[in-house]
Amino acid sequence: MLLPRFDFDEPATVAEACQVLSEFGTRAKVIAGGTDLMVNMKKNLVLPERLVSIARIPELKKLDSSSTMLRLGPCLTIANTAASEEIGKRWGALCTGAKTLGSPLVRNRATVGGNLGAARPAADMPPPLMAYGARVVLIKKSGERIVPLDHFFRGPGLTEIAPDEILAEIQVDAPPPYSGAGYMNLGLRSSCDCNVVNVASFITLEGPRGPIKNARIVMGCVGPTPLRAPSAEKVLIGENPSETLFARAADAVVACVPGAASMDCTPIDDFRGSSEYKRDMVKVLIRRTLLAALKEAIKD
Amino acid sequence: MAKLIHLTVNDSEYDVAVEPNETLVDVLRYRLGLTGTKKGCGLGDCGSCTVIMDGNTVNSCLVLAVQAHQRQITTIEGLETGGGLHPVQKAFIEHGAIQCGFCSSGMILSAKNLLDKNPKPTEVEIRSALSGNLCRCTGYQKIVEAVKSVGQVAGSR
Repeated sequence: MLLPRFDFDEPATVAEACQVLSEFGTRAKVIAGGTDLMVNMKKNLVLPERLVSIARIPELKKLDSSSTMLRLGPCLTIANTAASEEIGKRWGALCTGAKTLGSPLVRNRATVGGNLGAARPAADMPPPLMAYGARVVLIKKSGERIVPLDHFFRGPGLTEIAPDEILAEIQVDAPPPYSGAGYMNLGLRSSCDCNVVNVASFITLEGPRGPIKNARIVMGCVGPTPLRAPSAEKVLIGENPSETLFARAADAVVACVPGAASMDCTPIDDFRGSSEYKRDMVKVLIRRTLLAALKEAIKD
Repeated sequence: MAKLIHLTVNDSEYDVAVEPNETLVDVLRYRLGLTGTKKGCGLGDCGSCTVIMDGNTVNSCLVLAVQAHQRQITTIEGLETGGGLHPVQKAFIEHGAIQCGFCSSGMILSAKNLLDKNPKPTEVEIRSALSGNLCRCTGYQKIVEAVKSVGQVAGSR
């Protein structure tokens, strides 16, 4: 399979990269690990005139954690994310997601920023990042802006990133005490496949026995972008955690009241599974990830 | 517009002028004549193009040659030394883990990389480490046994 022809830039700084993008806009594409972009280029789905590699800009590979925040560079590899003890200690669901992405070979090249930028509905990093309330910093020549991940995805393959912008940092706040998160994905194989359904859940309790004061549930593969589950979250807030409560929250996501507004998720029939199956599985994964989140939350 | 890149492949230094759209696997096979690395799917799924780059296994079909500039690369050709075959290569032969041989370069490199980092892996760890390398012939069992046998010998490289 041949790649189309293109010019190649390898800027040494973020500022240089922004300069190139401000000149070339949509005629250029940013590349880091390339595990998604190269596949699309080989299939002739993406034909940039110019590739701008940000892979050798040192500050974009950073992994900084403080008592209040985790800051990741977009070029941090998925393998390094999965192996990070720092991330595992307080943001464990990110490691779980990273460990299941692709294959060991892909994980050594794929990056967190790339997984966000590719914006596949079935991607592994968006749900746990969204469950932790992550934000991205988008930089261009004239300035920068911060976008919460909840507002970052616009559709399959589409994000908030403008043609002259670079995703320069991912910020995740430190979870408050008595918080926990879980991530699960369902697929046919344990490696190298596209998820059928994936879910990340995050809860914060008032104290070691509850009640739940905050909850974020994110579902992948059941809509054009990763989706929050507000119906489920509403069921949880203020209640004491229990398996029955979690089951009720999961049911709320797919409950269909005749004539009322649509459900939280809109899975489609495709070769991976029927929409009915995905709806059933979303409920199972919500229950299981909430249980995993609770287990971590009471460990505090 | 060609770019001059410098590669260290199996401890030898190479300077190659490459087009931006050449992949590392193409440079290894067609420019350097190292055809032990195979091309299967071209999309990063099958792992037959596996090489070790700066200590990590990667799909060389998804690495642009220009991105490999100044990096250390080990291909299957780099495993045999003056002292003979690498222990993983020997184990694959002894355990019948090679049939058509097309996946073997990638499998052996993934296995070697695992053992370099985790000298005594469990079966689960072995299968997980090889999960990016597909084999259509063997059903994986003998491959796993071969890797396990190397892991059980203390101090093996």
